[in-house]
Amino acid sequence: MRPVYVHGVSVSPSWADPTCSLQDLIFVGVRDALRSAGMSATELDAVVLAAHDLVDGRSLTSMVTAPAAAAYLKDETRVGDDGATAFALADARVRSGSVETCLVAAWGRLSEGPVDAISHALFDPFTTRPLAMTEIGVSGLRATRALAEHPGYAAHREAAAARRDQRAGDPGRTPAPAWPLRPAELPVWSDVVAAVVIGSAPTAVEVLGVGMGTEPFELGDRDLLGLPALSAASGQALDEAQRGIAEVDVLELDGMTLFDEALAMEAVGAAARGGGMAALATDHRVDPVGAAARGYAAPAMGLAHIARAGERLADGEGRTALATGSSVVAAQSQAAVVLGTA
Amino acid sequence: MTTAPVPAPGGDARGTVEDPVTVEGRWDFGYTYYAGAAASRFFNELRLNRRIMGTHCPQCDRVLVPARGFCDACFVEIDEWREVGTEGTLETFTILTSSFPGLPEPPLVVGYVTLDGASSAVLNAVCGVDLTDIDAAGLSLLSQPRVRVKFRDVREGRISDFAFELVGK
Ligand SMILES: [Zn+2]
Repeated sequence: MRPVYVHGVSVSPSWADPTCSLQDLIFVGVRDALRSAGMSATELDAVVLAAHDLVDGRSLTSMVTAPAAAAYLKDETRVGDDGATAFALADARVRSGSVETCLVAAWGRLSEGPVDAISHALFDPFTTRPLAMTEIGVSGLRATRALAEHPGYAAHREAAAARRDQRAGDPGRTPAPAWPLRPAELPVWSDVVAAVVIGSAPTAVEVLGVGMGTEPFELGDRDLLGLPALSAASGQALDEAQRGIAEVDVLELDGMTLFDEALAMEAVGAAARGGGMAALATDHRVDPVGAAARGYAAPAMGLAHIARAGERLADGEGRTALATGSSVVAAQSQAAVVLGTA
Repeated sequence: MTTAPVPAPGGDARGTVEDPVTVEGRWDFGYTYYAGAAASRFFNELRLNRRIMGTHCPQCDRVLVPARGFCDACFVEIDEWREVGTEGTLETFTILTSSFPGLPEPPLVVGYVTLDGASSAVLNAVCGVDLTDIDAAGLSLLSQPRVRVKFRDVREGRISDFAFELVGK
């Protein structure tokens, strides 16, 4: 197997920009990643895309959008999962020697559709959809349980939210809240295109390990606080990277709300059980105004976190980064990536 | 006709649009989802017999509620049916504020309850909670109180055939 390196990254956030169609947004984001890699589209061997038809409001959305993501006449793979999973596939294509260079792109344009209703439509029509469940609702379920089990969550949530400095959402950019979540703990919906170029030629940032994990479908069967898929995915990625979590000095963990991020800190072992919220309030491995401040748009966030992790390493913030991406519905599947400086 | 470039009306083609064009779109197809044998029996037991049923996995010894035809953890078929209790523990809950056509009006308390004899939790509405002060209501439920199943008088073979209410209310 061959080593894999990050060649270029781009994360383009916007909101309801009338000068751009979805395809324009993707084109600009991918072009910026290629520029950052110092590469032209013709130098790409393969493309892996992550998108959701329901989010894009276009059936088989990648048929419409793939050419805007430089896929014309390319070895192309489409996934209906988070961008971090697309990254894992792209990594495998390069690592196996099948291709020399690969672009990964993921996007979501939440300004075009009714986000709460789309989120609701993701749920099971027999058991959870009739109960008005949404992704934010699941986060509310996790948050309630965390508050009940861990006193540290109530004690530190305000400080963690203040550090995150979430902008108040414009109308239409903030989800309907679910108790106990407070406005400052919720995501701000966004239009996000994330793109990363990887390849076998050495650069300053290497992809050291990748892992993935999946939980049961039924939420009632799941360990809502333990996030076992995330523990498995990050454990696999760290093992492959031959690194321990203690060696990770840059954390980019995907979570829809502040509570999801706090629980993710615990699941990857970066905070002790019950200590995730306190860690978010103080831990300098976390960049609270990084990817989260660009707003939230599934399924682009995992790739946005990977891109941000690459930038932070390139900026000298550390030597080893762990980035994760969680899928809809309710973070059932998780992908984790370990990056390191050469 | 000219082959010379034609300037955009507002100057720059990107950056500004004088008259942005948008179109409305809607996905409004009807689907008929099949529940399958196990879930059909689960919903029919609610409707006809006011019973909450689970299926027992012989391999991991869990009683899974709602009943299902296979255990995904062990990846084996399961067809041993067990009736579970009508009381249980409110494991966690949230108070939803989204409004969807045809569904109960918010605010709506929904929670996962592990019924006595079950190994997994089932989601349903928790009714009878005073929601005048939502924070106070939420805090009062944090202690994982006991709840019981309350069947509706008119049942349709749906998850909404029952809800939970606090024991002692
Ligand atoms: Zn089993």
